Amino acid sequence: MEGTLNAVGYGLAAIGPGIGVGLIFAAYIQGVARQPEARSVLQPIAFLGFALAEALALFGLVLAFVL
Amino acid sequence: MLAEEGEGYTPPGSGDFKLPPLVDNLEWFTKPYLMALVSVGILVALFYFAARRPQLVPSRLQFAGEGIYGFVRRDLARDIIGSNDFLKFLPLIFSLFIFIALNNVFGIIPFIQFPTMSLIGFPIALTLIVWITYNWVGMRRQGVVGYFKNMMFPPGVPSWVYILLAPLELVSTVFVRPLTLSLRLFANMFAGHLLLIVFILGGEYMLVEGEGVVKVLSIGAFAMGIVMTFFELLVQLLQAYIFALLTALYIAGAMSEEH
Amino acid sequence: MDTLLVVRAAGEDPNPLVPHVAEIIVGLIAFGILYYFVAKFVVPRFEKAFAERTEAIEGGLAKAEVAQAQAAAALEQYQAQLADARGEAGQIREEARAQGAAILAEMRQQAQAESDRLVAGAQAQIEAERAAAVASLHAEVGTLASELAEKIVGESLSDDERQQRVIDRFIADLENQPSGRAT
Repeated sequence: MEGTLNAVGYGLAAIGPGIGVGLIFAAYIQGVARQPEARSVLQPIAFLGFALAEALALFGLVLAFVL
Repeated sequence: MLAEEGEGYTPPGSGDFKLPPLVDNLEWFTKPYLMALVSVGILVALFYFAARRPQLVPSRLQFAGEGIYGFVRRDLARDIIGSNDFLKFLPLIFSLFIFIALNNVFGIIPFIQFPTMSLIGFPIALTLIVWITYNWVGMRRQGVVGYFKNMMFPPGVPSWVYILLAPLELVSTVFVRPLTLSLRLFANMFAGHLLLIVFILGGEYMLVEGEGVVKVLSIGAFAMGIVMTFFELLVQLLQAYIFALLTALYIAGAMSEEH
Repeated sequence: MDTLLVVRAAGEDPNPLVPHVAEIIVGLIAFGILYYFVAKFVVPRFEKAFAERTEAIEGGLAKAEVAQAQAAAALEQYQAQLADARGEAGQIREEARAQGAAILAEMRQQAQAESDRLVAGAQAQIEAERAAAVASLHAEVGTLASELAEKIVGESLSDDERQQRVIDRFIADLENQPSGRAT
């Protein structure tokens, strides 16, 4: 076997943000489904939250390459 | 790595993203550079003909151009930035969207098949523009002090939280945002391209070097490669959308008094 | 940040997170050209087209509104004219009726007058004839009476003057007596 543990580390690091992003969009979809007119209000919040949560996964990616 | 079973097989890696120079004398000028410039040429030509003589009842090309333009204008610019100021930033958001979308889609267009944005320099260049823009807009709107004050000390929070919140907000807005913006685009294109290479080159290796059942199994690899190509198309357009959307969000956030 | 990182020593593969400066520069130039074109050409043209279209649609709506208002005004005018015409017709009918009545009354009056006139003429003629009859009787009765008296009396009353006097007296006497006995 060849390769680095970095890939495994990144895989582990991506679990949390993956769940987080899933939760954010689940809540967003639910909110829009319940109140379609709230879409324009919810969209920026959802995408800002998504960007923040995904930042963690991207840090993991950076670390996987850097370390 | 399962690829190690074949003796001549080298698994695809980041080395696949270092392309040979197109011209002998220019070491740095590789295919992605040409693609970035060609994409600008294509977009300029396309939108020149689409917007050359705008008519009340649009021609087919004008209709297509207006469709993309109207989508960016309505969904990305006006709804997020607000109908008062969005026209100022519409060129930026629209350019970002079409530039990223076309350069991403280059990743699955036959014979080109390389997403420009999988070289991190290009996302960084775009992010640099976005970063400068929203910070500049925020400082202009609220003043330098006001901008950082509103950023680090958002109202409506118990005062002791500020100890934690202020540095986090500063780091988030000034450092994390540009970092994630460029990395998200880069990582998606990088991983997507790698994914396609794995399936296509792996299938090719199975077909050429394998024997018996392995040759047949290569069909599965190619089929998966085709499926992944369509999946990549979705991801590529989605990334362009997200990049433009986040740009609009950051600009809108910098312009409004409250976060 | 990434320029500080060193390319991984282990493999020959370059670290994909290390940007080439050339990439950033080319990216900036390419995007700059595109941005300039979009800002100077595409956005103004499309905005103009959008504005024109909006105006066309809104203008069409305004035009339709005007046309509707005009149609409503025309209808109102038409109805007013109709009402006028109806009123006029009624008036004419009324006038005609009045005129007819007047004519009828006039005719009746004329007929009445004619008949009155006829009656009056007839009466006058009757009166005249009666007067004439009376006058002729006056003369004849005198002659007859005198002849009769002459025959009865046997006395010639040839003297006209006297004869006349006697007749007059006789007639006067007759007239003074109740008429039953006169004839």
